[in-house]
Amino acid sequence: MVLPAGIRVRHATVVRKTMALKETSAAGDIFQGTLDMLILRTLVMGRAHGHTIAQVIEHTSEKALEIEQGSLYPALHRLEDRGLLASEWGTSENNRKAKFYQITAKGHRHLTRQTNRWRHMTRAIGLILGQSAD
Amino acid sequence: MSLRRFVQRKKKDADLAEEIESHLAHEQEANIARGLSAEQARRQARLKFGNPESVRDRVWRDRSFPWIEDGWRDLRFALRSLANVPGFTAIAVLVIAVGIGANTAVFSVINTVLLKPLTYPEPQSLVQLMNTAPQGTFPGANVPKFNIWNQQSSIFQYVAGYDQGGAGLNLTGGNDPEQVQGIHVTVDYFRLFGAPILAGRTFSSAEDSPHGGNVVVLSYALWKRRFGGNPKIVGTNIHLDGQPYLVVGVIGRDFVTEPTGDLWLPFQFDLTSQDMAHYFVVAARLRPGITPQKANAQLKLAADQFRRTYPGGLGPQGGFGVTSLQDVMVGDTRTSLLVLLGAVTFVLLIACANVANLLLIRATARKRELATRSALGAGRGHIIRQLLTESLVISLTGGFLGLILGMVGVRLLLAVSSGSIPRVGEDGSAVTLDLNVLFFTFGVSVLTGILFGVLPAISASRNNLAAALNESNNRSGVGFRSGKIRSLLVISEMALALVLVVGAALLIRTFINLQAVDPGFDTHTIVTMAMSISADRFQNTAGVAQVIRDGTQRVNTVPGVTTTAAACCLPLQGGFGLPFDIVGRPSGDNPSTGGGGYFPVSWAYFEAFKVPILHGRNFTEHDDGGAPGVVIINEAMAKQYWPNGDPLSDRLVIGANMGPVFVEPPRQIIGVVGNMRDGGLSRDPAPTMYIPVAQMPDRVTALNSRIAPLWWIVRTRVEPHTVIRSVSTALREASGGLPVAHIRTMDEIVIVTTSRERFNMLLLTIFGSSALLMAAIGIYGLMAYSVQQRTQELGIRMALGAQASNIRNMVIRQGMVLAIIGVVVGIGGALWLTRFLASFLFGVKALDPTAFLATPVLLTAVAFLAVWIPAWRATRVSPMTALRFE
Repeated sequence: MVLPAGIRVRHATVVRKTMALKETSAAGDIFQGTLDMLILRTLVMGRAHGHTIAQVIEHTSEKALEIEQGSLYPALHRLEDRGLLASEWGTSENNRKAKFYQITAKGHRHLTRQTNRWRHMTRAIGLILGQSAD
Repeated sequence: MSLRRFVQRKKKDADLAEEIESHLAHEQEANIARGLSAEQARRQARLKFGNPESVRDRVWRDRSFPWIEDGWRDLRFALRSLANVPGFTAIAVLVIAVGIGANTAVFSVINTVLLKPLTYPEPQSLVQLMNTAPQGTFPGANVPKFNIWNQQSSIFQYVAGYDQGGAGLNLTGGNDPEQVQGIHVTVDYFRLFGAPILAGRTFSSAEDSPHGGNVVVLSYALWKRRFGGNPKIVGTNIHLDGQPYLVVGVIGRDFVTEPTGDLWLPFQFDLTSQDMAHYFVVAARLRPGITPQKANAQLKLAADQFRRTYPGGLGPQGGFGVTSLQDVMVGDTRTSLLVLLGAVTFVLLIACANVANLLLIRATARKRELATRSALGAGRGHIIRQLLTESLVISLTGGFLGLILGMVGVRLLLAVSSGSIPRVGEDGSAVTLDLNVLFFTFGVSVLTGILFGVLPAISASRNNLAAALNESNNRSGVGFRSGKIRSLLVISEMALALVLVVGAALLIRTFINLQAVDPGFDTHTIVTMAMSISADRFQNTAGVAQVIRDGTQRVNTVPGVTTTAAACCLPLQGGFGLPFDIVGRPSGDNPSTGGGGYFPVSWAYFEAFKVPILHGRNFTEHDDGGAPGVVIINEAMAKQYWPNGDPLSDRLVIGANMGPVFVEPPRQIIGVVGNMRDGGLSRDPAPTMYIPVAQMPDRVTALNSRIAPLWWIVRTRVEPHTVIRSVSTALREASGGLPVAHIRTMDEIVIVTTSRERFNMLLLTIFGSSALLMAAIGIYGLMAYSVQQRTQELGIRMALGAQASNIRNMVIRQGMVLAIIGVVVGIGGALWLTRFLASFLFGVKALDPTAFLATPVLLTAVAFLAVWIPAWRATRVSPMTALRFE
């Protein structure tokens, strides 16, 4: 499964750019919301930098969700712009400079809300698809 | 999204780049730990990450305002796309610049004259007192009127009388006497106008009463120029006509009067005076909350009271009223300026239509480009926005150029109009580039851009994608719809141009008619100059008669001079008027009383002007104070009052009922002279009385000397400018050192009196011809383009046997149909619109058949020429080339 990566070429014509943007953002809403949730969930366990987050998501989902790592960053920055995350530069376990993200109180609340919604929805979809509600 | 993030996005982007680097490094290290080679590790990391550029791009865009980005992109694109077609761009910009320039020029004058409030504090409460009569309102006041107006303290806060600088004064003392404009004012004048006092004070009530002493207030300009801005001037004496005057104050620089005054003197009215002659004007400041309507209601009562107090001082239908001071100053210039604004709007509309046409043609040439873009996903709205951006780039550039053109143009304009427009200052110096003008030009530019851009943009965006892309080239026929729009544009251009040209034709005819008017005298080789006779010795008739005798004698000895005369006033410039009674004529017969022009003149006046004596005799030098009173009347008066009889047997009482100043014994009519146009070329000669200056009642002389200078009229046998120096020297010697001013030849005066008409005519002619030119270019452009587009079709027709003449006629017919529809629509518009010109016309009706016949013919001829060229070119199409065009 490919999460919203964007099929954009930086120097496409003026016109194409806007159109492309429109399409991805329309189609990508569900996925974006999902990715946001996964990021927030990951950060509940403590602060982490982008690479760690990517790896955690990849490993905890047993590699079922293999994200194009780059697409993580627009999401991270968007969440930060919305005040759900905070960030600061620090030093990583490899002794490298890295930007660490931390979930904010607002982020916690958001995550709870979104998780509940997600549960409701998956349950409903499961019912419709005729699976036993286990 | 917040503005802060938008502004910080450069820094944030750098941040993100670093973050991505860090991410890649971590992944690479993880890969190395799994045993990959450094090179492989790096490659895998990159693969897994995706395109960093695109990530940055995405984040960047998340943080931006799309419309700013898009606008900026559209702008850059527009500039690039216009730079690709420099010829097209230059023409479009130029056409718009001319259109906007004309509008800017006219608007900057309107802004100064009509829109800018007067420079006095709370100008909206300033009014001028007017006399109302069935035939209109006119300013003018005498002491009894001033008194009664001054008493209306329930409506007026201040009331002040002032003259217009009338006679002028001689600033003496020092080697170089100079004539200056001294405005006589009553005591409340400065308070009324809120004049800033730079030094000293203004007049006291005591100083503004008879025998109040010689006091003067200086203007800033005179103080700087003549007295070097001497800070100690207040309290010292200056000399006016040899008399010492105490300077009591200096007024600040910002105080502007119309006409300009150099200094102010107190009127020192005898408030018991019963003189009924009007020789000054009165302004007032309304009390807060008093509207002009309320004031007029109150003044109605005042007029009744006045009529009871001074029987005969006010006609039975006469009354008093107020008019806003600004309206008084602007006068009938308002209509004239608004008509001009209408005309330049037409020019701009034609310019818009022209550019719109160019854009339509260009859009056809760009069909494939636009189709490609819309195939790639550009919405219609986006294409329209893109095309409108191009229009706005054109119109704003044109607007900027137009602003420059307009400001240069307005200087030229005002140089032509020389003094016919109020409030524009010396040579139009008050007309400046201010925010109003900038906003106007900017607003007009944006509107223009949208106006000429929107139709082409919409029509271009309506492309049929598949058809456009599949066209092998862009030479197939003109699309039906845009062809129709173009035809409509050309029709409107023709119609607008026709209206303007009709207007121009009417004004040209007016001007020619004016030029053809016989002023009633020979205007050539006459030089005139004004001498201020404000000194004490000119307060009685003998003194004035003496200076005229001496001056005449002296000037007559100047080589080149043939005749010298003097008078109160000059022809064409207006003069005094007084009522008269015909002695012994029974009432009920022909009118026994009337009013007419009143011109005190010296004996050689008619000789100098070469006015024929029709009956009786001319004045002689001996018709002086010692001789019996005589008067000469003009032909108009003789015809009106003695249609069958002989005026020479009658006597006149002049100035009856005008108060004690004018009381004099009856005068014998001794002659009838030809009519002179005293009120201007466009006014029919009115009944006029001429009396010898030497026979004026002393008190009338005193009044005259105060309100008008003595005009010298010198006929020469040589070019009149060559004698000016020696004549002024002779006059100065003969008058005991009085300077002369306002030196002009009579021909120059004729030009000045027709300057308003010349101004209107020139402007409308310029506008009309540019409109005609643009319309011709428009129709030429359309037909030339259509011929070019149809090369193939024409080729086929010719291959199938069409004659050259068939082809030519077909093109001509198509073009001329448009032109003639435009002309017909234009005639309709002109029939309705020329009524607004009616008040500017002389000797020609607003629906003048000549103008309404000649103009359509002219326009049709020009259109024919414009159509003929492409038609001729169409016949040159060689069938083979045309068919091989594919």
